[in-house]
Amino acid sequence: MKVEGEHLFKAPREVVYEMFNDPNALGAAVPGLQKMTKIDASHYEATLGIRVGPVSANFSGTLTLTDEVPPEKVTLIVEGKGGAGFVKGVGHVNFEDLGDKTTMMRYVGEANIGGTLASVGQRMIDSVSKSIFKTAFEKLDKILEERWQQK
Amino acid sequence: MSQTFPISVTVNGKVYNREVEPRLLLSDFLRHDLGLIGTHVGCEHGICGACTILFDGEPVRSCLIFAVQANGHEIRTVESLGTPDHLHPLQQSFKDKHALQCGFCTPGFLMTLVPFLEEHPNPSEDEIREAIDGNICRCTGYEKIVEAVEDAAAKLSQAK
Amino acid sequence: MTAKYLSQPIKRLEDKYLLTGNARYVDDIEVPGVLHAAFLRSDYAHAKINKIDVSEARKRPGVVAVFTAEDFGDFWKPGPLQVPPPTAIAGSKFNARTIVPIAKDKIRYSGEALAVVIAESRYIAEDAFDDIIVDVEPLPAVIDLEKAWEDTSVLVHDDLPSNMAALVSQEVGNYEEAKKNADVVVSKRMLVEHVAGAAMENRGFVAKWDEQDQQMTIWANTQSPLTVRGSVARNLGLAESQVRVITPYIGGGFGPKVMTSLSDDVLIPWIAKKLNRPIKWTEDRRENFLATTSERDQIHHCEIALKKDGTILGFKDVFYHNTGAYDSYGMTVPLNTQTHTISNYRVPNFYTEIRMVFTNTMVVTPVRGAGRSEGVFVMERMIDFAAKKLGMDPTELRLKNLLTAEEMPHKTGIIGQDFVANVLDSGDYLDNYQKCLKAVDYEKFRKEIQPKARKEGKRLGIGVVAFTEGTAVGPYEGCKVTISTNGKVTMATGYSTQGQGHQTVFAQIIADQLNVKVEDVKVITGDTGSFAWGAGTFASRGATLVGTASYLAAQKVRAKIFATASKAFGVPEDEIELGEGFVFVKGKPENKITLGDLAIKANPMRGVVEPGVEPGLEATAYYGPPHGATGSGALAVIVSVDPETYKVKVERFVMVDDCGTIINPLILDGQIDGGVSMGIGNTLYEKMVYDENGQMLTASFMDYLMPQATDMPKKIEIIHQHNKSPLNPLGIKGIGEAGAIPPGPAICQALEDAFSEIPLEILESNLNPSIIYDYVKKARNS
Repeated sequence: MKVEGEHLFKAPREVVYEMFNDPNALGAAVPGLQKMTKIDASHYEATLGIRVGPVSANFSGTLTLTDEVPPEKVTLIVEGKGGAGFVKGVGHVNFEDLGDKTTMMRYVGEANIGGTLASVGQRMIDSVSKSIFKTAFEKLDKILEERWQQK
Repeated sequence: MSQTFPISVTVNGKVYNREVEPRLLLSDFLRHDLGLIGTHVGCEHGICGACTILFDGEPVRSCLIFAVQANGHEIRTVESLGTPDHLHPLQQSFKDKHALQCGFCTPGFLMTLVPFLEEHPNPSEDEIREAIDGNICRCTGYEKIVEAVEDAAAKLSQAK
Repeated sequence: MTAKYLSQPIKRLEDKYLLTGNARYVDDIEVPGVLHAAFLRSDYAHAKINKIDVSEARKRPGVVAVFTAEDFGDFWKPGPLQVPPPTAIAGSKFNARTIVPIAKDKIRYSGEALAVVIAESRYIAEDAFDDIIVDVEPLPAVIDLEKAWEDTSVLVHDDLPSNMAALVSQEVGNYEEAKKNADVVVSKRMLVEHVAGAAMENRGFVAKWDEQDQQMTIWANTQSPLTVRGSVARNLGLAESQVRVITPYIGGGFGPKVMTSLSDDVLIPWIAKKLNRPIKWTEDRRENFLATTSERDQIHHCEIALKKDGTILGFKDVFYHNTGAYDSYGMTVPLNTQTHTISNYRVPNFYTEIRMVFTNTMVVTPVRGAGRSEGVFVMERMIDFAAKKLGMDPTELRLKNLLTAEEMPHKTGIIGQDFVANVLDSGDYLDNYQKCLKAVDYEKFRKEIQPKARKEGKRLGIGVVAFTEGTAVGPYEGCKVTISTNGKVTMATGYSTQGQGHQTVFAQIIADQLNVKVEDVKVITGDTGSFAWGAGTFASRGATLVGTASYLAAQKVRAKIFATASKAFGVPEDEIELGEGFVFVKGKPENKITLGDLAIKANPMRGVVEPGVEPGLEATAYYGPPHGATGSGALAVIVSVDPETYKVKVERFVMVDDCGTIINPLILDGQIDGGVSMGIGNTLYEKMVYDENGQMLTASFMDYLMPQATDMPKKIEIIHQHNKSPLNPLGIKGIGEAGAIPPGPAICQALEDAFSEIPLEILESNLNPSIIYDYVKKARNS
């Protein structure tokens, strides 16, 4: 499955990038994220509860950040497994400073999904993932607004 | 998960008081706890309609309901219709018109159609097809089921 | 001989139990002390297994045992070849890689069993899946048939040089030579997509070991109880007599339930014996999609060569056939494809090549239609494409080449699933087609109905195709007919039944021979404790093989009735008359002996019997044909296409079918109707989809669309032909799969006709509105 999109954050690039390195911020933003622990600078462990149509299950996995060029770009590798299958994804994220204290985030990636999630939930995965992104961005916008105003 | 809850359910006119786990499906409760094997499970996700029963008179999928939700309610299964030697008129029409082959989906069709025929004593072919659209039959291609319903409707309205 | 019941629309004897919840299916079998099995199945289609840790699962309350491949020790081994390869075909290559009961070292399809949990309830058994840690190393999946065939492909079986499961070519005449004389040659690549049998009842298996009697009793909804009995006995080192397999009522078969040596029938008897506890397993719908067999899935490269006048000179077909991860079921499906590709027409030169490929999908075995659908699809499509190129009407080209009654029996020379060269035994294929054209009123549709509809802005199209249905193949089936001392008759056969009405049709044949009431004949199917010989339910062979065996056994019993009565009355046999349920001396009907009393006389308790006399009014008979009996027919469909949504509606459906002697017209039409719904379902709704990683994306009825009541045409018009098969005394040919075979090509032809102003060419079998839209868009732009 291909994942692609963009989002305009109303804050300078450094602030946005910093937020993406903060497990607390990410943890609060991703719907269903139950736990996110930073292992080291580029590794996180997370537990996620997800519901895709008739499939509802917990996934545990890792998030790895590679090819980091702060605050420009980063590659995210997600590997999760659970009772309802597995997800393996690679995402390339770019942050473009638009110069007016806003940042355009563009992401493109590929996700492999297996198990019950694929065999029973496939039809809904696309819309579920879109809805997860949407909710997460709304949440991140809020977090960003608070942080940016504090600064 | 061992915690159980007491339920009292009326099935085919008989009251059953049982202790059940909250996650026990109504279909499993009927089939395995009460031994009412006429209710069949074909897909476990509410599509095929084989497990259709009457819940306070309404046709519902017993694979999508927990047994505890039936507490205090009235259930009717295929066993409440006729017996092998005294078939219900709808069952007789199914036999006469060869509206069943393997018979696995049949109880679900019957339980969908019993209340339908009460509400639609003279149904059109389109109404019949709409009524059974939520029940899947892999054997008959539906045509003979439609004929059986027409036959039963005629017989039932004559009897009135 | 009176035929009071044969060919009559006798209402089914089994229905009253099925209608009232009094028919027991396998999941209805309750054995005291039973434990429940659940299989943990692989999420990956292709992976190396590092470790499967079940230690935590074993500790869960309610879990009795958990097994992985390692726990079965030496018992774990690849299964037998359930169907042998076609060694009769010279030069054929076949690499046997038979299915394993549970994955060891390597996972080869998504859904393959990794562990089996035995627990006090199914709920607990599935809970324990969460406790199992599966450590695997994913490998790239082999899915695309043509890429899989290449030497560069990733391998499903590492010990083979390629993914070739088989390579079989057959040729009659010389295609390449014939092609040189052709005026027109058309080549196409076509897909015949993957579909599920999708019986409403999933599979199930119950095993009970009796330690004291050393007896294994199995209840299973298998189409092949004797194969299961044989393999369970061999696996456990038991005599066949120590294993009894009972098939209760079965909720539909359609092919996949014939497959054995799966996780359940191999492992569950072993576990039941080891734990000395009855074990039950009931498949759920997702498991059925993932880990029960399914079919079709071929890619064809076809070529047809013709003269200008439409005479077919030759046909060439090189096709890739997906066998899945293993090939225990041999080559039944692709061999059926080979025999059916040229079974309708005069094709003097034919080259056909099977490239059977291993992939990371579940095993492919017959589903109603079983290779015939594919063969008929590609031939009928190619004739349509050729007709367009020749500027002929598709019906005209068919009329020119269809086989006639004068050409029967017709040897095609292609070796089929029964390993003998195919002989079309009877029928008039041209007549089938002409009757079909007349019934649908082809001329009127062309001249009046279609032009009028066009003017009103409606898109209507017509398609008329021909088909054959090879049925009733060997080796043999049999049965035992017994008249009991209460005068009632019992027939027992090893053949198992899934809704075909066997309890009624065999009773009809026997009742006629013995002059008893049809309801007084009880038919026991698929209980190896009652009858222990036979091959199984497949290839639409029940009515012909078991029906003929019933006829022959009943005739033997009838002879015994006359012999016993002759002795009892002290008169020659030709003076005995058989009334309904009794015998008497001609002219003296007041002095009768009931068949029950005669059965007592046939089993003397004291005294002597003459040499050669066998006791009882009982006889066993077997029937095995020299080759299959081929049914045939034609199908006309008129479809409408919604101009906005591209939803296709089948407006008329007219089918001509020739299955020889009709045993029961009610049941016969039911068989056709059911096949038709599968054929229409396959063409317009159903499709099993694996993604490039081998994940099945359609493992529920939410994604695998089954045809519903509103999807079917209002009336399936059926015209019966009556060309008897010369192969058996009653002249029967099979019918089980006919309906599923021709709808695909007929609907494709009709769709192209509905868009006749554009060069629409449909090259695949399973359509939906968006696929049709894409085809139309492409044709409009070309």
